[in-house]
Amino acid sequence: MVTVMELYQLLPRTNCKLCGEATCMAFAVGLLSRKKNISECTPLLEENFKKQKEILESLLLPTKGAEETGMIVHPELCTGCGNCVVACPVDVANDPHGAGIGRAPTNDKVIFKVVEGKVVASNIKECRRFGKNRVLCYACIDPCPVGAIEFV
Amino acid sequence: MPIDVGKFLKSPEYEIKITTYRDIFQVEALERDRFGEEYRKLSACIMMGRNDLKKMGLKAGDRVRVSNNCGSVVVEVKETKREEPGGLAFMVNSPWSNALVSGDTGGKGIPEFKNINAKVSLVKDEVTTLESLIGIFRK
Amino acid sequence: MVTCTGCGLLCDDIEVVVENGKIKETRNACRRGAARMRGCMNRLSPSVNQKPSDIKNCIRKAADILRNARSPMLFGWSNSTCEAQLKGIQLARKLNAAIDDTSSFCQGILIEKVLQKKFRTCSLEDIRDKADVLVYWGSDAQDSLPRHLSRFSYFPRGESRQRGYEEDRIAIAIDVRESNTAKICKGHFYRIPLKGDWDFILALMDALSGKVPSYDSKKMLELASIMKKAEFGAIFLGIGLTYSIKEDFDILQKLADMLPNINIMPMVGPYNMRGFNEALFKETSFVNRVKFDGKASHDSSYSIVEALRNKSIDTLLIVGSDPLSSLPRSAISHLANIPIICIDPCVTLTSRIASVTIPCAYSGVENGGSAVRMDGKVVELTKILTTNFPSDEEILTRLTEAL
Ligand code: SF4
Ligand code: SF4
Ligand code: SF4
Ligand code: SF4
Repeated sequence: MVTVMELYQLLPRTNCKLCGEATCMAFAVGLLSRKKNISECTPLLEENFKKQKEILESLLLPTKGAEETGMIVHPELCTGCGNCVVACPVDVANDPHGAGIGRAPTNDKVIFKVVEGKVVASNIKECRRFGKNRVLCYACIDPCPVGAIEFV
Repeated sequence: MPIDVGKFLKSPEYEIKITTYRDIFQVEALERDRFGEEYRKLSACIMMGRNDLKKMGLKAGDRVRVSNNCGSVVVEVKETKREEPGGLAFMVNSPWSNALVSGDTGGKGIPEFKNINAKVSLVKDEVTTLESLIGIFRK
Repeated sequence: MVTCTGCGLLCDDIEVVVENGKIKETRNACRRGAARMRGCMNRLSPSVNQKPSDIKNCIRKAADILRNARSPMLFGWSNSTCEAQLKGIQLARKLNAAIDDTSSFCQGILIEKVLQKKFRTCSLEDIRDKADVLVYWGSDAQDSLPRHLSRFSYFPRGESRQRGYEEDRIAIAIDVRESNTAKICKGHFYRIPLKGDWDFILALMDALSGKVPSYDSKKMLELASIMKKAEFGAIFLGIGLTYSIKEDFDILQKLADMLPNINIMPMVGPYNMRGFNEALFKETSFVNRVKFDGKASHDSSYSIVEALRNKSIDTLLIVGSDPLSSLPRSAISHLANIPIICIDPCVTLTSRIASVTIPCAYSGVENGGSAVRMDGKVVELTKILTTNFPSDEEILTRLTEAL
């Protein structure tokens, strides 16, 4: 997982504020949490930063799957155990007699499903970490024995 | 020609205890192709905690010979994902670990799959192939 | 919905997408189950003395070998349907053969105790609906029965456990290794030294009876109090525990007797090991290691490991198992001396040295039937794909006829 420091090192580090952030460091934090886009740092578009921009893009690539909630799933680590499917409060609320009691989801309103032995996340906007009444929910991270789900 | 001193120095041997376990990724590879590269990669290895590795001067990716009076195999060293109290190494259940398990069950019919005493030492040899483990059984 | 034969949980809520006679996608099956449904790359082909043949000829050859055998053994069975297992037991009777299955070096002893009703036990649905204390002992359920915690034991919101794992259930792991299951049991992981189960049980019994345990007393007292307070608990006995205390299971019974609200359930890896144990138990009152000769006798010398070590068998018929891969090499040199007949969907290490190989269908994918879940519930298997391979049941029937 890429760190804020790694991203920061690759920015112009002039704190010019053109990106709308007060410092390059703040911009790096924004990048990591997907609130900011690389192209918003206009100085980075200049020719002499070409190389750094490419590295930044490649560093941020693996997390491209993250939606606005910042959720990333790593199917290659996942064992398909279904713990997250059953533990996620949204899945329980939307499918109380399927996912809620440990069985296969019976509708498409759940966030997690297991396909080909690996987890697939959809309806991510329903996640309790997202929206107006957001809460810092860990119900899919803690039950996962292999760290296949993370939020950035 | 300079003499390669390392060639004459035998790597030190360490006594270890090994226990076997099961791993879902290895079982997946077994279901697909028990003769395949993936299964070999996930099976022919020994896992140790960081401190034990350090004590023996080993690092992940090294190859070691693990032997006892039942058999001897060359496998790859891996580091455990979690902190270990030390003194115990892990091998996933496979023909490689079974080369080291004692067949003496005290007449009870249950071998000591989970309690293996062996010696490890760093080697340059290639990892033992499945073919060589089957070889002696051919008629 | 189809049933997965990837492990002893026999999940019956699997969806499959079939395209061009192949399974294109599985849904709800774990990684292990998905792999089982995809099947192997190397299907076994019929052969006699390592030369290609056809199934008809292979069966004739196998019958010849068995007819000439003085002390044959029929081994495997935990990856076959109940129907095939019954055929196997009948065949053993007819041949006056020994019969044993993989439970012989696995959970057989514990399953026998359960069938003899020496332990209080329950169904997985009971656990899902009622259990508040779950103990995974020497068992990494996450890797061997991957959906155990999500379908039945820890995570589901059961009938009287509506608040789910967060508040209504406590999960405890006792193990020598910090397994994936232990990781989930975070606050309640008891790491024991290799072969430390015995001392752990003694210390726990001390704590339960109000004595100060000799071993890690603070944690033991805490564990004892959780177990005593359980309204409906379960101890899942894994193979780690079985191997560790294989000498004497009476101590487990004593422990169970001290815990009236706790059920005992052995974990069963292969999908139908319990099925075989139950079938043989019904016929002979033993779960494995039986030799027929008019009557049925039971002895550890009829276990696959001892029989090979003592070189007391002269022919081995194997159904759905790979002893060359799963048994200690130092015990099985006899495999090189005797004719082996292998019935399996896939090429195995053992099939490579077999005198006769007979390919069969993948049970639960290419043929249906029934199987017994780890807790004793009978589950129907589904035929998903059509195939030209006969089922192992059919092969055993034809083999019996050819004799
Ligand atoms: S625009 Fe770029 S250089 Fe300027 S402050 Fe933002 S990150 Fe730093
Ligand atoms: S954070 Fe909570 S609500 Fe969001 S997906 Fe994970 S478990 Fe569900
Ligand atoms: S993401 Fe984690 S909890 Fe969810 S199915 Fe995969 S391994 Fe299990
Ligand atoms: S838990 Fe077992 S039965 Fe269920 S899907 Fe996984 S392998 Fe199949």
